[in-house]
Amino acid sequence: MSSVSRRSLLTGIGALGVGAVGVGGLVAADAAGSAAPTAPAPQIVPFRGQRQAGIVTQQQDRLTFAAFDVVTRNRSELVELLRTWTAAAESMTRGQQVPGGASQLQAPPADTGEAAGLKPGNLTVTIGFGPSLFDDRFGLAAKRPALLRPLPKLPPEDLDPHYTGGDLCVQACADDPQVTFHVIRNLARLGAGTVVLRWMQLGFGRTASTSSAQATQRNLMGFKDGTRNLRAEQAELIDQHVWVGAETDQPWLRGGSYLVARRIRMFIETWDRDYLGDQQNVFGRYKGSGAPLTGVSEFDTPDFAARDAEGGLVIPEDAHVRLAAPEHNNGTRLLRRGYSFTDGIDPTGNLLGGLFFIAFMRSPEQFISVQRKLGESDALNEYIQHIGGGLFACPPGVGAGQHWGQSLFA
Amino acid sequence: MRTAHGLIAITAVVGLAVTGCGGGPTTQASQPSGEGGDVTVQITADGCQPQPGTVNGGVVNFKVSNKDAAAVSEAELLSGGRILGEQENLTPGLDGSFTLQLSQGDYQVYCPGAKQDHWDFKVTGDAKNNWKNNPDLVRATTDYGTWVNEQVGQLVSGTKDFTDAVKAGDADRAKVLYGKARVFYERVEPVAEIWGDLDKNIDGRADDFPDAKDFKGFHKLEQALFEARSLDGTVPVADELYTNVGKLRDLVAKATFQPAELANGATELIDEIQKTKVTGEEERYSHIDMVDFKANLEGSVKAFSLLQPALSKIDADLAKTVQDRAAEVDKALRPYVQSPGYLETGYVDYSAVGKDQQKALSQSVNALGEAMSKVAAKVA
Repeated sequence: MSSVSRRSLLTGIGALGVGAVGVGGLVAADAAGSAAPTAPAPQIVPFRGQRQAGIVTQQQDRLTFAAFDVVTRNRSELVELLRTWTAAAESMTRGQQVPGGASQLQAPPADTGEAAGLKPGNLTVTIGFGPSLFDDRFGLAAKRPALLRPLPKLPPEDLDPHYTGGDLCVQACADDPQVTFHVIRNLARLGAGTVVLRWMQLGFGRTASTSSAQATQRNLMGFKDGTRNLRAEQAELIDQHVWVGAETDQPWLRGGSYLVARRIRMFIETWDRDYLGDQQNVFGRYKGSGAPLTGVSEFDTPDFAARDAEGGLVIPEDAHVRLAAPEHNNGTRLLRRGYSFTDGIDPTGNLLGGLFFIAFMRSPEQFISVQRKLGESDALNEYIQHIGGGLFACPPGVGAGQHWGQSLFA
Repeated sequence: MRTAHGLIAITAVVGLAVTGCGGGPTTQASQPSGEGGDVTVQITADGCQPQPGTVNGGVVNFKVSNKDAAAVSEAELLSGGRILGEQENLTPGLDGSFTLQLSQGDYQVYCPGAKQDHWDFKVTGDAKNNWKNNPDLVRATTDYGTWVNEQVGQLVSGTKDFTDAVKAGDADRAKVLYGKARVFYERVEPVAEIWGDLDKNIDGRADDFPDAKDFKGFHKLEQALFEARSLDGTVPVADELYTNVGKLRDLVAKATFQPAELANGATELIDEIQKTKVTGEEERYSHIDMVDFKANLEGSVKAFSLLQPALSKIDADLAKTVQDRAAEVDKALRPYVQSPGYLETGYVDYSAVGKDQQKALSQSVNALGEAMSKVAAKVA
């Protein structure tokens, strides 16, 4: 924005004297410079590419996630919206405004304005399609990947229908929460008449790290719970566990990924009065260092066989780290990309917050099998409850001139 | 409810008490922005020719890009050698923009370092786009004036019937006549809102009055009928309400309207539905919110339909979108139609409409509002 100088602002008003009928002087300045494709400016994550950004992208600090339902019955209206959304999302990831201008005094500005002057913040905007989109409304029934169906019941969940499912999802991640909110707000506005917001979640702090360059953040229970997450640098593992390959029955999804979102409430007050020894046994890690109970530093590999002097397992049978470990799930791994959230307090006065779990995977079965196991015996279940979420198929990235959903609707 | 500053142009401002809220009627509405438009300026080693080189007066957005000119990094708009606006530091591959309100005159685009560094840019007169030269729009404004006066006339007679019933202590009859009078107010609400305290005195809620004893108008009587269930002490309230709607009728008779005001008013009526009808806020004691909902919608659609002949020529797609979405709202209302309905309103008691149903209504209204908000700039 520095390129519109104070000088031009002042002389712009001076222009009133030049013409005969001017009424407003300088009306608006929209001068965020954009980047040449060859030299990305700082904090700009390329929007276009083979894969969608926002999956293996180094995890940003803030999230706004939204699920939409499509209300139109007109297929071309939906496609037109996806085209409009693509242009808007791309523009916002470059730190620019939603296209359409702000120059007419009698028209609302195309962009809502609250992100003007903010840095792009490594914004990524990622789209996914929910199972419900593939019904008879838009002729997509034959395009539904066989694996894309509503998640089965995964006890002990208690999903609120107002926070579950959706025809589409958009994940906006950036290092500035106002930047991510701005995305969802503007996409919802552009979508009026075509889609409606079904639910929305703000995440105020990342709980995982998706790059070895990042430290592991703590979750709201005070623990490091993403230490063994997949990292972008593990290219082979990422290919193996995250990206949908030739095995899919739907070519449009090749190179994409399945997104599982789970709104997981933590019973914060009861957790906070659990004694430290038990808290550590629940996770199987030391609260302070993040090290497994069999190690001394965070990245030590847990020794699940280790026993103490009395012959008991050092990492208990029902510890979270044990049950979630690939070693105990036939090697199954997920790329976790979750955020802590709070929505204030519940009607009984307890803090309402927890983990907005997001994970990307090659097949939803990866989440289902791990979560079945956790649901059965995870010690953590006493302190958490899954209360919402959804499954979405995220298509591959958009190339030059393409728009979201182009191959799906082709 | 809000003060619609600058919404309606008043040609004869005679004896108006402009008090409260600082938002009385104004003698001029915001000027139409004229044409203006986008001008592309591509910086090359050879120069920075503006495209197009001539625009009509108005808001002009200069979109500047530097494709590959290593020696040139800025473009400025000059008038008589003075810089009016500029975009600097554009190295090859970068773009940016600046926006100016420009009037008729000769300007130059200047890009120091280019082979030709001054390029002529011309702004022509603003008058071409004046709505007064468009007979469709002129007709829309006069027809709207006629319609508003007719509605306010019916408001006065409906309020007379209602307040007579209140004063006669006939609560059952008053309850039915309450909604029948309010329809006419809710259809023209944006017009009624321009006279400061008058709207508050006719249509204010309990929360609008810092001192509870000052609470007056329709909603005070609503509270007496439906919540307090006592008409004690309401005769002066009824008399004052009738006086105030009479004042409104006299003021409206002197008002004239501009096309953009019709359009903005149409949007405001949709906003009213979304903020105070869908939520059940406005008719919190009587729950006849469906009456207000429908009346707001009718008022909005009326203004739009008067603009439609002109709009269809200016932007047929937008005209169709608004029409389609208005039809969607109407469709969303249909399940709640009843005959004779709750208190003979033709609709159900709004307190029986569930949260999820309210949400669906709100979403259809929101879609209409977004489309309607784009109309004003097209007809200004």
